[in-house]
Amino acid sequence: MYQFLLTHRYLTSKVMPLLAALAVALCTAMVIIVWSVMGGFLVMLINSGRTLVGDVTVSWPITGFAHYEELIKRLEADPDVAAATPTIETYGLIGLPDGRTETVMIKGVDGPSYTEVTDFASTLHWKPIDKPHAKDTFSEDPRLANHTLWNFVFEGGKRLVRFEKPERGNVAAEKPGAVLGISVSGFNIREQWGFYPGQARARQPDGTVKPVQTILPVDGNVTINVLPMDSKGRAVDMVARSFPVANEFHSGLYEIDHKTVFVPLASLQDMLKMNRATKVATGSGVAINEKGEEVFTAPTVIGEDPARVTNVLVRGKTQSFESAAADKLADKVGVIYRQFAKDFEGQVPPSTSIRILTWEDQNRTMINAVRKETALVLFIFSFVSMTAVFLVLAIFWAMVSEKTKDIGILRAIGASRTGVAGTWLLYGAAIGLLGAVVGFGIAYGVVTNINAIHEWLGEKLGLYIWDPKVYYFSRIPSDLNATHVTIVLAGGVLASCVGALWPALRAARMSPVRALRFE
Amino acid sequence: MTAATTNPAVLRATNVRKTYQLGRLRVPVLRGVNIDVRRGEFVAILGASGSGKSTLLHLLGGLDAADKATTDTGPASIEFDGNDLIRLSTGRLDEYRRRRVGFVFQFYHLLPELTVLQNVTIAAMTAMGKLEYWSKRGEVRAHASALLERVGLGHRLLHRPAELSGGERQRVAIARALVNKPDLLLADEPTGNLDRVTGASILDLFTDLHKAGQTIVVVTHDEATAARADRVVRLVDGSVQPS
Ligand SMILES: Nc1ncnc2c1ncn2[C@@H]1O[C@H](COP(=O)(O)OP(=O)(O)OP(=O)(O)O)[C@@H](O)[C@H]1O
Ligand SMILES: [Mg+2]
Repeated sequence: MYQFLLTHRYLTSKVMPLLAALAVALCTAMVIIVWSVMGGFLVMLINSGRTLVGDVTVSWPITGFAHYEELIKRLEADPDVAAATPTIETYGLIGLPDGRTETVMIKGVDGPSYTEVTDFASTLHWKPIDKPHAKDTFSEDPRLANHTLWNFVFEGGKRLVRFEKPERGNVAAEKPGAVLGISVSGFNIREQWGFYPGQARARQPDGTVKPVQTILPVDGNVTINVLPMDSKGRAVDMVARSFPVANEFHSGLYEIDHKTVFVPLASLQDMLKMNRATKVATGSGVAINEKGEEVFTAPTVIGEDPARVTNVLVRGKTQSFESAAADKLADKVGVIYRQFAKDFEGQVPPSTSIRILTWEDQNRTMINAVRKETALVLFIFSFVSMTAVFLVLAIFWAMVSEKTKDIGILRAIGASRTGVAGTWLLYGAAIGLLGAVVGFGIAYGVVTNINAIHEWLGEKLGLYIWDPKVYYFSRIPSDLNATHVTIVLAGGVLASCVGALWPALRAARMSPVRALRFE
Repeated sequence: MTAATTNPAVLRATNVRKTYQLGRLRVPVLRGVNIDVRRGEFVAILGASGSGKSTLLHLLGGLDAADKATTDTGPASIEFDGNDLIRLSTGRLDEYRRRRVGFVFQFYHLLPELTVLQNVTIAAMTAMGKLEYWSKRGEVRAHASALLERVGLGHRLLHRPAELSGGERQRVAIARALVNKPDLLLADEPTGNLDRVTGASILDLFTDLHKAGQTIVVVTHDEATAARADRVVRLVDGSVQPS
């Protein structure tokens, strides 16, 4: 009982315990903040990684595989599969209106089914919005007004078409269009804190930045260059085609937003010679007539080369972030593919070599890198926290030394060693708990306002720690995980208990007379 | 001399030795002390400064450990109620300090953070479990207040030790020593730090307690203080001088 009385008295009559509590608070806050930001980073990375790839991908890169319609039909017949869509992924060059050429990942997608399998539609940037972005103090975002236009552009983006102004009559013409990552064109200049002002601006040759009237590249066209290959994997001549820009997308992952261009599947198939083609016999189509002249004849058709795609993306019915759910779906897809490969033996890649990847597999390098980084940073910060534990220990050592005479008195009036040590354990726990609660408060405040704080630092001190170019995301992500918080807070309390108990045990082991004489 | 001198001994120290180790140097302070304290007796241990009075009293109060007996020194013991303090476990020794003796120090040794009343009740708390204290806290407080009233501090219950005079602090210490109704009250120079008048009032308090039946052992270097006792034991160079 006296333990409670003393703990209460000691806590309320000295500055030292408050200092110790503050040390605990700062340490727990630091570790929670780091863990939350790194954890949030990981969650956001995983989410963004999933946005455009669906749950499971069947992949046969470069040359692609045929009969994908049949595979999709079979996949969609499975009760666990929500939808599947064919895509082509290839690398190519994009020629931009200002004369720049950039290497990009070019994805041919079938708008309607692609939007069903992925969250593509939600990443489209040019669409009508009702509320301005938090940073858009003067509501300058052009998407706020002229909703009819933006609805058109949004719909066009989803289907990868650009509605051209009617030249004759009043029927708008549809042309296959490209959807660019928001950072591809260079017309959307992101503020340092990661916000697109909405008003697209172009970098002038002299280095200045000027607003441009159209949000989509000036004449609305980009040139896509790809290198087609035949079904044996041999390169044919480079093919270039001009596309009007239908829309732009913003996934939040800088790597993707900077390096990806979507075009309609049919166009890309055409360019890559992956569309349906008639096979003719070699030498047929040309004949020598009686006069010894070459003449064209009808070629001998010996078969048909079916259309090909490099990927089929699958979305499961249950939306889950667990890798296990995706793994289960991948197994199912594997079974379906095995039967498919058997039925089309010789015409599609064998089931032993086809690649069936979950969203996690596809982003493994990135996710693992961030996981490792999180572990490393946590390790370092825990190490830093060790310093704090020693600080707490030192403070307690000083406090217990100062109170050794009290310990002697308590022992003299009959308090047991364990009772006295218990007093200090309670004292340590109380300080630890106080520190942990305050620390959690600080961490909560910082984590939930981290972007505001970052911006404030940027405005007042010109300090931008978070460069969206380096960190994939335009906003600092955070994820206050209950388990992590509990672990850190318990660690803080435990450290305080240990810090208090050690010197207290030392003092309690002294004979009462020695403790009384202790100076 | 009162009848108490014929009562049975509550405490019997036989051949008690205490040697301090100062680096390589062994400093024998007590060289085989024999002393009896009978129930209801008021004994004064008189000796010059440095003669080992405090050391002896600490051993009797279970605050420090006497030397273990060796073959050259012969058997040693401090018997209390059939137990030998020298051989008692730490736990039992705590129990002894908690319930059987009350100790009054020359320098009061109060807990500065606690009020006068809490300084007294805390000794009662150590002797009770949490539940027991919780159920009896009213009684304990009343008893402690009554004791403080008896030592003349009924009006200072909520003051801090720092706000009290030396004599008042010593009264608090006496009340604390008595709160668990000890069989034995040990006091080490209880008036050593006080002026003559204040000291005398403290000694009056001891005399009153003694009259009420309390067994008391007081350590002093002052003949006048010793004169209050039933019996005076003289300590010279670490042993008791035959009277
Ligand atoms: N912890 C210790 N270590 C070493 N020597 C000690 C220790 N405690 C006491 N002594 C020595 O033992 C001797 C007796 O000390 P003690 O305090 O018992 O004397 P005392 O008779 O109470 O004296 P005083 O009247 O001054 O209080 C002294 O010489 C002292 O120096
Ligand atoms: Mg002394």
